[in-house]
Amino acid sequence: MIKTEHKYIEILRILKDHQEPMGAKRLSELLAERGYVMTDRAVQYYLRYLDTRGFTEKVGNQGRILTTSGIMETDRALVDDRIGFVISKLERLAFRSTFDPSSSTGDVAYNLTIVPNEILEPVSHLFDQVRDAGCSFFSGYSFIDRDPRVPPGHTGILTLCSITMDGVFQHNGIPVKVAYGGTIQVEEKKPLRFMDIIGYQGSTVDPLQLFIGAGLTTIHNYINTGSGFLLANVRQIPGRAEERGRSLISQMQDCGFRFPLTMGKGRIFNLLTDPQRLSLVSFSGMNSIGCAFEAGYKLRTEIGAGTIPFSKVVDK
Amino acid sequence: MSEFLRFVSHQIEDFAMQVTFNPTEGTGTVVYNLSLVRSSDLEHTLAVFRATCEAGVSPSGLIKILKEGEIIEGFTIPKDQCGILTLCSTNLDGLLLQRGIPFNPIGGGVIEVADNIPKRFTHLIKYEYTTIDPLQVLVSQEITSALQVIKNGNGSLLGNIRECHMEAEEQVEEVLEELTDGYFTGILDLGLPNTPCLGVAVDPQYMGLAALGGTNWIAALKEEGIHVTMQAMKGLTDVSNMQFISEL
Repeated sequence: MIKTEHKYIEILRILKDHQEPMGAKRLSELLAERGYVMTDRAVQYYLRYLDTRGFTEKVGNQGRILTTSGIMETDRALVDDRIGFVISKLERLAFRSTFDPSSSTGDVAYNLTIVPNEILEPVSHLFDQVRDAGCSFFSGYSFIDRDPRVPPGHTGILTLCSITMDGVFQHNGIPVKVAYGGTIQVEEKKPLRFMDIIGYQGSTVDPLQLFIGAGLTTIHNYINTGSGFLLANVRQIPGRAEERGRSLISQMQDCGFRFPLTMGKGRIFNLLTDPQRLSLVSFSGMNSIGCAFEAGYKLRTEIGAGTIPFSKVVDK
Repeated sequence: MSEFLRFVSHQIEDFAMQVTFNPTEGTGTVVYNLSLVRSSDLEHTLAVFRATCEAGVSPSGLIKILKEGEIIEGFTIPKDQCGILTLCSTNLDGLLLQRGIPFNPIGGGVIEVADNIPKRFTHLIKYEYTTIDPLQVLVSQEITSALQVIKNGNGSLLGNIRECHMEAEEQVEEVLEELTDGYFTGILDLGLPNTPCLGVAVDPQYMGLAALGGTNWIAALKEEGIHVTMQAMKGLTDVSNMQFISEL
């Protein structure tokens, strides 16, 4: 039994994923793909209800679009459901990234940060510093300006999302789970221990965004002194996959990826994990965004915003 | 090497076990949150705390103020700062435990309030998955609007939820009745067995119990633009060391 609220939220989510207005017929097709089988008429009924709630509006006879409060509703409703959503959104992206480390080709997943042009220079200077200090996930980043998500007068910065790595494992037959996002204490370039971690399976907000917003990073300190609190991810693969995992990792390192900080079974610094599974700890691609936040630049970042050919991020 | 990381669900159990608080008599040991503000902001801070108590957005008006240099459980209040002790919502879990009520702490999150009625959780971090208190990180994400709730009854507050076995419904109700407006209150919703509570699912045969976070006044303070740092579940103290904000 699928509850009413789930159906109407799914309609809102579909409209959110598409910029153009959409009619009941197309919606009912897309809903069916997602497991919500409903007739056009039923969809019409829900749309009228959503109109009265102010979540959708009609655009002539082309169909419906989301209103601002409709967009907000997708970020507020069904809290239980959204806990799993953070991770399943990333898993979708991992599956879509087709990067092949042996040939350095294919698509990689990225985060998109929107930067007002007047602060682009100081912000990109900070991104350079993070890259040069070696605490980013990848040895580069790039800019985009022609994209519907980038408003006029702004530039988008693409940083490589570490979920790319999950895609590589997955496509090479290694099941992988992103377990935690957290902060890690580094002393004189040596990782010492986790300060705090939050599991992706237990939060409606991306863990790394929480740590950045709560001011729990000192990335700039690390750049200056080699010591600080940095953002890191923990992911896990079956212990049996160790050998294959290691060879994929070394291929990816040759392409410019920087990880892992450490890998092992059982005890990882001050975290106890399943001894049968191999945990990989890596710096997050979000360290650049965290560093900008520390300097007072509150930038909007979409984690896992999409996939893009590797050749387009490697320039810069 | 440092101690192992501990998840909040276990931290809550550890603290709740040590609570001997009696909410009708105002005696016993309680769990506190420690917040630090600049000494120059103290007066403004107390005004905000008072406002949250009067509006029913803080679960308790009990407070203790520490001046710079004072020491609490080995922690020294830094120069030019004030330490503020307020009650943590873990005290509620302590009261449940005192009665032998089987309960599981679920998580902390953001609750939407419309016309002074709590509607639903809009964000949640589960205790089992985090080593840092959810409200301690959610309070700084600019997703609360405690001041709006105080002003016109609409907005978003911080809250938490645990589940209690339905077999103990009577005892849970006894606990809730004991919570007078005086020492500790802040229950937002007691759900029906097997039914989601403010949108959060519960285990079979359990019922959800949602309460105000002890950190809502911190949210209000941040919304006012006052710099504050906070540590949830910092330690234990005898409730007689604290006094009501209304008596300050």
